[in-house]
Amino acid sequence: MEVVDARAALAPAISLVCAALVFASADNTFWRRFFSIAAALAKLVIVMSMLPGSLRGVVYTFKLVEFTEGVGLAFRADALGMFFSVVSSTLWLITTIYAIGYMEREPNRRRFFGFFALCVSTTVGVAFAENLLTMFLFYESLTICTYPLVIHDETPEAMKAGRKYLIYTLTGGALVLLGSIVTYQLAGTMTLSQPGILPLEAGRTTLTVLFVALIAGFGVKAAIMPLHGWLPSAMVAPTPVSALLHAVAVVKVGAFGILRIIYNIFGVALLRELGICTWLAGLAAFTILAASVVAIFQDNLKRRLAFSTISQLSYIVLGAALLTPLAATAAIVHIANQAFAKITMFFVAGSIQRATGKTTVHELAGIGFRMPYTMAAFTIAALSFIGVPLFAGFVTKWYLSLGALEDGAWWYALVMLASALLNAAYWLPVVYTAFFKTAPTAEVEVHEAHWTMLGPTLVCAVFVIILGATVSVPGMPFALASAAVKFVFGM
Amino acid sequence: METEVTRSFLPLAAFLLPLAGAVLTMPLRRISARVRDITLLALTALAASVAVWLAARVAGGAVYEIYILQLTPDIWMYLRVDALGALFGATVAVLWMLALVYSWGYMAEGHRLGRYYSFFMLSLAWTMGVAYSGNLLTFLIFYELFSILTYPLVVHEQTPEAMAAGTKYIIYILVGGSLVLLAIVLTYFAAGDQTLTTGGILSAEIGQQRLFAIFWCYIAGFGVKAALVPLHGWVPDAHPAAPAPFSAVLSGVMVAAGSFGIMRVLFQVFGVELLREMGVMSMITILAGFTVLFAAVLAVNQDNLKRRLAYSTISQMAYVVLGVSLLGFDSTIGAIIHVTNHAFMKGGLFLCAGLFIRRLGVHRVSQLDGAAKRMPITAAGFAIAALGMIGTPPLSGFVSKWYLGLGMLETGNPLLLVVLLGGALLAAVYLLPIVYRMYFREPVLTADDKITAEGREAPASMLVPLVIVTLLTIALGLSASLPGMPVSLARMAAETFFH
Repeated sequence: MEVVDARAALAPAISLVCAALVFASADNTFWRRFFSIAAALAKLVIVMSMLPGSLRGVVYTFKLVEFTEGVGLAFRADALGMFFSVVSSTLWLITTIYAIGYMEREPNRRRFFGFFALCVSTTVGVAFAENLLTMFLFYESLTICTYPLVIHDETPEAMKAGRKYLIYTLTGGALVLLGSIVTYQLAGTMTLSQPGILPLEAGRTTLTVLFVALIAGFGVKAAIMPLHGWLPSAMVAPTPVSALLHAVAVVKVGAFGILRIIYNIFGVALLRELGICTWLAGLAAFTILAASVVAIFQDNLKRRLAFSTISQLSYIVLGAALLTPLAATAAIVHIANQAFAKITMFFVAGSIQRATGKTTVHELAGIGFRMPYTMAAFTIAALSFIGVPLFAGFVTKWYLSLGALEDGAWWYALVMLASALLNAAYWLPVVYTAFFKTAPTAEVEVHEAHWTMLGPTLVCAVFVIILGATVSVPGMPFALASAAVKFVFGM
Repeated sequence: METEVTRSFLPLAAFLLPLAGAVLTMPLRRISARVRDITLLALTALAASVAVWLAARVAGGAVYEIYILQLTPDIWMYLRVDALGALFGATVAVLWMLALVYSWGYMAEGHRLGRYYSFFMLSLAWTMGVAYSGNLLTFLIFYELFSILTYPLVVHEQTPEAMAAGTKYIIYILVGGSLVLLAIVLTYFAAGDQTLTTGGILSAEIGQQRLFAIFWCYIAGFGVKAALVPLHGWVPDAHPAAPAPFSAVLSGVMVAAGSFGIMRVLFQVFGVELLREMGVMSMITILAGFTVLFAAVLAVNQDNLKRRLAYSTISQMAYVVLGVSLLGFDSTIGAIIHVTNHAFMKGGLFLCAGLFIRRLGVHRVSQLDGAAKRMPITAAGFAIAALGMIGTPPLSGFVSKWYLGLGMLETGNPLLLVVLLGGALLAAVYLLPIVYRMYFREPVLTADDKITAEGREAPASMLVPLVIVTLLTIALGLSASLPGMPVSLARMAAETFFH
């Protein structure tokens, strides 16, 4: 059932208003904080108010402008889009609180919080985009809005990373635009409301090229190897930005775009016919393993996190590329599972950096006794990535393995197991160093971070457990994932 | 046999009580160490009573179940207490409670007691979950959690050896756990979610190749925990490194959890008929038989007492797998009760080893000369457990070996009696010399060590658990034929497996 409802447009717009207010609030700390949190809350309320309807199967749509016939800015909150926006608006609120604590003594806070709000606006815009053009628009805006955040420190290193980031993502954006135009030309529409719009008559070669272009375009942000180069460099950004980039906004938008391309533009049936997804799955599997192997050798905690992200994102790509309902479920729920676990880790990395100034793993000896709650949260996230049952990551691992078997491609189940062991190989040593090594004696007193940083960290860690333990908690978006899968596979 | 399935919170309580203990450990320490100790004991004793009560009720024909959480749209976290689980659960809870009391004395001067006690209670909670799991996913959850979260206990001493043993432990356990996960995913894909009630979930229709893949994944995965040679590498390192009370439960029930998993899977996932059709069990028999003898031979040469006991565990737990692999009625009973009997005997031996370490400062067999004069009760406990381990009537070890032997004849494998008796003989070779040293040699005292000739018997809090496990070893042997005892539960379990 489709309902015209302004909330579909309001959800992205609210952060836009907030951004304007933050920029307008000059250097008044109180109002900046007030608007940041108020907007995050307002957005969460709007999205959550749509959730009950969405769970009943209602799809909210809203057409903003129409440039020409069938081409315009339009929003549509279907199950998949709702899933993504529930996750990102929840995490935005949490990250905003953390960022307020983290950025307390940083310069240029107005610019930071302004663009921070813009990023989330564009993210929800991507989630709710009704057609490829709207999606492209928000996808590109996101690139531009995150640039000031990446270069926030304005060191030469940051500027260089920012340049790299722009080159990669703008090239990706160009490919998306190209793909959108070709799609329109072939299908006569760009809508994302159908389970596939492209016809097989368009020709195998054309479709294959189009697929490669669109996947490469979104794959840059989803950091599929070999398009991942920007991501580890972008780690120079302040930690809340890294959390936002790598857990919610930027990378997930890429992964989400790939889901949209596979499920709503090409459609499962057409892709099975083309047989091209086996290549994508192979590439994703390679990325999962290769990035994890690289991560083992990173001593800088944030760099290790970056390569872990690259690996984890390809779970989503792999799940999508397997083209089976169970694998699709894994791909969609992993958007949430990875987000909460990864953001927990970034928060921890940021808290440690603020409390001790330490950034590398080997310096963390004994930190578990100085910051027990922080490191407990880290341990929970680590267990989730390893895929220990009852933690969020297990749900993905379980469904993805089943999905691989469903496709008859059992070797991907082995990839999942290998990846879990690799995750253990680079996360458990961190836990080990923190809790089982003794701290150097001549160290100044270190305490837990301020509650504005510790609180969000713990909340995310609790979410990791809830997501892993059960699907029956009301408001948990697993039902949305199931609904999306049913729609895509016509079940 | 008529069974009535009852919804009950008791299985959940047996799991939640120790979990509450784990959570309360740190806050209670703020009040006082004594309050913490007493509360933990109360919670564990309560959990043990629940477990024993459940076992008694199950022996009377009841089955308890409870649905806890909806894990995925079609799978629940589901506890179900049947005969096999009830017996294992009761064994676990009782041994854990005794080890907890023993910890008071053993860990008195230890460091990081908060961590020790909370993880000790956590492992109990997970292990109770393993015992009562009603479906494969629930089993996997508890099995993985207890495997991984016992790491802090293995490395508790934080000596370089303990840390190395811990690393070895976690690598073995993670790889084994992955294989179990793979097997469970394959099972689930082939047969869907089914409770562990029937005589088998899988059917031959899914194809020979896939069946074999699932089978070997399970065996290899659980085999790591059950310490089947060549997957046993972590055991001889982890046991000497861990604190003695934890070694006792590690050896007594954690290794057994692997064997327990193998039993669950073979009888309740594959089912006896399918296994006979597959014709793979003879390979498991050979593997287990080899493990029994190989590990026992290695045990003979270990001078470190706890290491010797660790090899003994590998050898003894292979008896369980051996008994299961024969697919005979009596051998299955023998395998099931051997888990319980071995838990108390080996638990007792490790408690003795801990006492020798704490009271005499002795880690090596060769230093135990004359120990009986200084620690008469401990030495007696050791001697009785050692005799039980060898299989001397009327101790409990004899009962399990008796049933195993019957099973070997029943299934037409008289040659295996050589393994059975060989293992027992080797147990005599590696355990009796220790008893001999303790009783018939004069202590050799050197000037620099603190060992003196006077009595050094341990405090009551450490002796009482030892005395209780020793009495259990005797009682489980004497009362084996009474109703409500492990044998009757094992018989019930075997009846459901063999219809």
